[in-house]
Amino acid sequence: MEAEEKKLSEKESLDLIATMINKAKDSFHDTGIGVIMWGTIVTICSLVRLSEIHFGFRLPFDIYLLTLAAIIPQVFFTIKEKKERKVKSYDDVYMDYLWLGFGICIFLLILIINNIYADLGPLIGDYKELSKGRIDKTDFQFSEFVSPLFLLLYGFPTFVTGAACKFKPMLWGGICCWVCSVIAIYSPVKVDLLLTAASATTAWLIPGILMEKEYRIYKKEQALVNV
Amino acid sequence: MSDNSIYFLVWGWITFIACASQFMLKHIYDYEKHYLVWLLTVVGIAFSIYQGRKQEKTIKVRTYVDESMKHLWGGMGISFFVLSMILTRLGWGTAIFPFFILLYGLGTFVSGCIIRFRPLIIGGIIAWVLAVGSTFVSYDFQMLFGAAAILISYIIPAHLLRNRTKIVHP
Repeated sequence: MEAEEKKLSEKESLDLIATMINKAKDSFHDTGIGVIMWGTIVTICSLVRLSEIHFGFRLPFDIYLLTLAAIIPQVFFTIKEKKERKVKSYDDVYMDYLWLGFGICIFLLILIINNIYADLGPLIGDYKELSKGRIDKTDFQFSEFVSPLFLLLYGFPTFVTGAACKFKPMLWGGICCWVCSVIAIYSPVKVDLLLTAASATTAWLIPGILMEKEYRIYKKEQALVNV
Repeated sequence: MSDNSIYFLVWGWITFIACASQFMLKHIYDYEKHYLVWLLTVVGIAFSIYQGRKQEKTIKVRTYVDESMKHLWGGMGISFFVLSMILTRLGWGTAIFPFFILLYGLGTFVSGCIIRFRPLIIGGIIAWVLAVGSTFVSYDFQMLFGAAAILISYIIPAHLLRNRTKIVHP
C-alpha cells in the first residue's frame, strides 16, 4: 500500500520542530560515567606504576592491562546510553566519531611506538643487566618515555569536546593535557607519570564528576516536571 | 564546507611538496639541510590567517558544521604544534613521520564523518595504515609515506569535494 505523504500546517511544523529540539536537549545530558571511569583508571595506572618505580616492587601483572579490561564496561555503557537516547543529536554523532577516532589512534600509537622502539629492547635489557642493584633508575619500560605523545593525544578530543559542547571543565582539561605534554618532554619518567595522573584527573575525572552532578539535577527536574 | 576545502588543498599541497622535496634533497642529492623545505609551512600559516580573517568578514551565517570544523582543526593545529615541540626534543632525525601521519588521519577521518564525505573517511583510514606501515621503513622512505598519506587523505578528497560543490552549486 502506498503511503500518502501528509502536508503539515505551519503550526504543526513548528510544534514538530519544538518537540525535536526538546528531545535533542534531553539527550544532550551525559551521565559522565564513562569519563569518570577512564579518568580513574588512567590515574590509578599511572600512580601504581610510579609506586612500582619509586619503591622498587613489581605487581604480578602489568597494571596497564586495566585499561584493556575497561573496554568491556565502556561497551556496556555505550550500548545502554544508545538505548536510552531518544534522538541522536548532531553533537552525539560528532562526539561518537571524535572519540572513536581517538580510541583508534591510541591503539595505533602503541603499535607505532612498539615498532619504532623494538630495536631498543635488547639494548635496554643489556643496560638493566649492567646496572644491577640500581633498580630505581632502570626498572621501567621504555614506552613510558613516550608519555608526552600520549598526553598530546589525550588533550585533543578532550579540548574539542569541551569547545564543541561548551563545557569549560573539559576545555581546560584538554589544555592541561597539552601543557603537561610539553612539561613531560623535559621531565624524568617519575614526573611524567605524575603528570599523566594529573592530566587524567583534570581532563576526565573532575569533568566527569561535574557532568554526573548536572545529570542528577537534570533527572530530578525531569521527575518533578513529570509528576 | 565548500569554502573550507581550500584549507585542505593549500595545506595538502604544501605538505606534499615539502615531503617529496625533502626526500629528494636528502636521499638523492645528499643535501645536509634538507629539513629547510619545511619553512614552506610559513606560507600555509600566513594563508590560513588571511583566509580566516576574510571569511570572518564575509560569512553571514555560521552553521553547526562550520563551528565543529573550527573546533576540530583548532585542536589539530595545537596538537601539531605540541607534536613539533616533542619531536624537537626527541630529535627530528628520528622516526617522526608515523606520528604526523597518525594525526593527519585523525583529522581527516573525523572531518569526513562530520560532513559525511566518504573520500575523507577512507583517506583518514588509509593514512592510519600508512602511519603503521611507515614504521617498517627507514627515515628517508618515511617521507614518501608522508607524501602518500597527504595525497590520499587531503589532496584527492579536497579536489573531489570541490568538484562535488561545483556540481551542486555551479
